[in-house]
Amino acid sequence: MRAYLATTRGSFLAYLAYRSGFIFSILNNLVYITIAFFLWRSIFQGQETLRGLTFDQTFLYITLASSLMVTLKTWTDWEISHQIVSGSIIMSLVKPVKFQWLMMSQSVGFSVMNFLTVVVPSVLFLVFVFQVPFYSGIGLLFLPLALVFSFVLNTTIDYMIGLTSFYTESIWGISATKDIIILFLSGSLIPLQFFPDWAQQTLKLLPFQAMYHLPLMMLIEPEQPVMTYVMSLGVQLFWVAALLALARLFYNRAIRVLRVAGG
Amino acid sequence: MALIEIEHLSKHFKLLNRREGLKGAFLDLFSGNYRTVKAVDDISFSIDEGEIVGYIGPNGAGKSTTIKMMTGILQPTEGKILINGIEPYSNRISNARRMGVVFGQRTQLWWDLPVIESFKILKEIYAVDDQTYRQQMALFEDLIGLKKLYPVQVRTMSLGQRMLCDIAASFLHQPKVVFLDEPTIGLDVSVKARIRDVIRELNRTQNITIILTTHDLGDIEALCQRIIIIDKGKLLFDGPVQRVNQLFGVYRTFKAQIFDYNDTTLDRLKALVQDRFADPDAVHVEENENFWTDIIINQEKAPLREVLNLVMSKFELEDIRIVEISMENVVQKIYDGALL
Repeated sequence: MRAYLATTRGSFLAYLAYRSGFIFSILNNLVYITIAFFLWRSIFQGQETLRGLTFDQTFLYITLASSLMVTLKTWTDWEISHQIVSGSIIMSLVKPVKFQWLMMSQSVGFSVMNFLTVVVPSVLFLVFVFQVPFYSGIGLLFLPLALVFSFVLNTTIDYMIGLTSFYTESIWGISATKDIIILFLSGSLIPLQFFPDWAQQTLKLLPFQAMYHLPLMMLIEPEQPVMTYVMSLGVQLFWVAALLALARLFYNRAIRVLRVAGG
Repeated sequence: MALIEIEHLSKHFKLLNRREGLKGAFLDLFSGNYRTVKAVDDISFSIDEGEIVGYIGPNGAGKSTTIKMMTGILQPTEGKILINGIEPYSNRISNARRMGVVFGQRTQLWWDLPVIESFKILKEIYAVDDQTYRQQMALFEDLIGLKKLYPVQVRTMSLGQRMLCDIAASFLHQPKVVFLDEPTIGLDVSVKARIRDVIRELNRTQNITIILTTHDLGDIEALCQRIIIIDKGKLLFDGPVQRVNQLFGVYRTFKAQIFDYNDTTLDRLKALVQDRFADPDAVHVEENENFWTDIIINQEKAPLREVLNLVMSKFELEDIRIVEISMENVVQKIYDGALL
């Protein structure tokens, strides 16, 4: 465990070394928030609620989704692909640590840094400039755990995408496809309520909504019965278990390509 | 029992036969036309604790493949390896705890961080206790003056500094065995000497087994008591370095760029030296690229001075260079039976 904590700390510090990059990440997110504000205000024009959501709820959902997306963007897939293509993966494999955990602990460091440098300023911006009301309620208690699950789901998917480069070498296409799929199907671009009913039903069967939609609902509707949130966490936990198991199987297969076919 | 035991080790790769051109590249997408390459072919040897063994051979000989199997990354096709009684490829993580690795072309240090952070991270990764850590860091301070490098970001280091730090890092957790793959590649003479001193000291003070692959015969001479030479996956020689030293120590390569080089130059040169030195091992002429000619001289059979005078009396030379024999030539000599 110490090994992984140290790795997390290292990636956190490594990210700090590139401090000037933060400013652009923050600006980027603030510009997006501003555009989203005007876009959704014109969509809501004159209507109190759309699909059961008020403008405030929708705006909060959208902007926090984008902040969450920035937080979760740790480039694990690209890192793995880079290691595989350049051969530097051997430096990871000669260490007495599990490769997946090593990648995840680096990812944690990046995420924490992203959170501090992008999400915190974004939330302050939302509160003080757009005067968005945050809701309080029992749902918020479940939020931290839900966000941890979101993180695990996200890095596990990235990790598996990265592993595909054992076969394909380049992951540009597959990673871009993954980004688009997650963007649309997780609720991070448009709240899932705005999808047609049949689509919503289908999306509930996929892991992507567990990454964004479920935790964001805790935030914008924190006054539901406790059971609602427990159910949400249950769904997330199911996907965490399923994806981790899948990732493990996939790693065992993919690493065989390296171990047998050589690098 | 020996620390490392390797028995009948083989590693075969299946490689796709790639075809030429755009059409070929497209057809390759669907091709099942493979050939088998025996990167390592039935190698056996054992290494005792505390030895420094030079593991050498020309490019593509199978050195790195063997090292990768010993570090547990690659699975052998046949045969087995035991390090400390465990098979590295079936127990990658427990093997990794007791091993250190330096690949000269890569680094295990964190590129963007001051180097001390890398040591702190490695301390945790290898679960090194505080006392051992302090003791090792003090040793590295003595050997390479590590302290003044603590705050230096790894990517701003010179290659030599980085390599010294990388070597130190691989010894931090007092491993049983350290693999050094081309540790002096691309370094100038004084830094090479320093690195050799450091490696020798670490081996001596900590009794750590070292397996060194290198292209630089100077590394071998300075460090190893024993060398193992492989080529095309096969073991060519395993024995004390002195025997090989006697062999390559007497050879020099006289490189000459001959003025007005044409089709007949090489033949005229060959005829010239054969006239004087009948023994084919005494002087051997080889064509090199860019109009350079290599004249490989066995100084016991043909004094360097005589060969120089002879060649210069008949040819106009634009440029000359005299170097020690290369790894490829050593291997060639062994093929020709020089050690038998």
